[in-house]
Amino acid sequence: MLDFALSSLLRRKGKNLSLVAVYTLIVFSVASLLFFVQAMKRESALILEGAPGLVVQRMVAGRHDPIPLEYAGTIAGIRGVAEARPRLWGYYYEPVVGANYTILAEYDGTGAQGVVLGNGVARTRRLAVGDLVTFRTYRNESLVLPVREILPQESELAAADLVVLSEADFRTLFDFPSGRATDLAVSVPNPREIPVVAGKIAALYPDTRPITKREMLRTYDAVFDWRGGMMVVMLAGALLAFVVFAWDKATGMSAGERLEIGILKSVGWETSDVLLLKFWEGAAVSLAAFLAGVLLAYAHVFLLSAPLFEQALKGWSVLYPRFRPVPAVDGYQLAIIFFLTVAPYTVATIVPCWRAATIDPDAAMRS
Amino acid sequence: MRRFLLFAVLFSLALGSAAVSADKVLPAPSEKEKCAVCGMFVSKYPAWACRILFRDGSTAWFDGPKDLFTYYLDIKKYAPSRTRTDVKFLLVKDYYSTAFIDAEKAFYVVGSDVTGPMGSELIPFAKAADAKAFMKEHKGQKVLRAREVNPDALKALR
Repeated sequence: MLDFALSSLLRRKGKNLSLVAVYTLIVFSVASLLFFVQAMKRESALILEGAPGLVVQRMVAGRHDPIPLEYAGTIAGIRGVAEARPRLWGYYYEPVVGANYTILAEYDGTGAQGVVLGNGVARTRRLAVGDLVTFRTYRNESLVLPVREILPQESELAAADLVVLSEADFRTLFDFPSGRATDLAVSVPNPREIPVVAGKIAALYPDTRPITKREMLRTYDAVFDWRGGMMVVMLAGALLAFVVFAWDKATGMSAGERLEIGILKSVGWETSDVLLLKFWEGAAVSLAAFLAGVLLAYAHVFLLSAPLFEQALKGWSVLYPRFRPVPAVDGYQLAIIFFLTVAPYTVATIVPCWRAATIDPDAAMRS
Repeated sequence: MRRFLLFAVLFSLALGSAAVSADKVLPAPSEKEKCAVCGMFVSKYPAWACRILFRDGSTAWFDGPKDLFTYYLDIKKYAPSRTRTDVKFLLVKDYYSTAFIDAEKAFYVVGSDVTGPMGSELIPFAKAADAKAFMKEHKGQKVLRAREVNPDALKALR
């Protein structure tokens, strides 16, 4: 039966090949999108997993402001808090390459001199360990520092634009007030206690804003969902066109096909046999397209880093040219793609066949 | 977006500080470890995992202090081959630090608004002051010592 179905497909090569091609294209775009958004979300979740449970920022007139270091001591004394660590970080615009660096200070570090550069920074400025790198401070002076280390390529996504300075250099660079930090990373061992601690901090220091990890995760998820949604809207047109196309191709039985069914019935085929045949035909077309589309999407997203909609979904600064998502596909995603594409098509082909197969073979051959 | 990159780095710098020393000595429950009383998976609730360490080196895991005491007080029913003298340590996790502490020296708050995987719980604390403060903040009813945890007290938690 399968044999017969395949040879019947081959008899109408042109029509079926074009169908498979368009079908593959649609599966490919939907699958790429799903894979990519999922990969981004997971990447952000992985990164945030290690983030502190609670970050405390000081607000002045609703804007983020350096937080006094005394706050750290008081917050560390709250029940349930293991540690309140001041952090110093910021952004530095480098006019030479037109990029923003993320600057991080090694708070109470080992006292090591020099800077640690992210791979992207070192690449764009062609720096090697031992070279001198110049920053312009906020007092318009030059800060010349030797490069101590360059972070390895693997940390590209996380730290491409990173520059790590000593605390003293950080304060010089930004003319940062002493006795202040950018924010506080508060670690709370029991996650159930985080909202309680956040409430206490807000009551203790009304000028601060505690941000919980859960809120950060939600925000990033929402951002990626929104961007993914944008792409879906763009794809919706294409999907709709495909549905119309598939409907037309699959439901509109040509006179030839009708004749074929008539002949099959007259040589003794049951209605159920004809339906089975058509089902196999539809399944062969959609499964082939599904497999090809998913494989192509996998290659596109995970081997080629999704060049087609990188721009729309990432939109990062010039220093991130080489984001490579970690390949991972779960059954859930595949099931979504499968039911969005294969299932409707198979159903769409069966219905008209059933109509054609139930009519009198004599009438079918005559018409 | 930029901030999220930053976290990765801050994370790597912060790693060392968060780990609690007791957890390094005592391994966390493996994924297939089940509570010896209720049969629920223990590793899903790391903040609640409790254990009994026997003298022969074996361990019984529990998903909350309530189940640990249920087992310990009626050890004949749950482990007929063992007696209380076989027990080396009873370990529960301090609510605030989530580090293992000696269950027999701990303070337990009952009747609070914090529930464990098995509902109402004895919330363990290493320090009496922590237990008192918790009781005030989480509407606890009273603080129990380990010897006050008897079958009647456990029954009240069901």
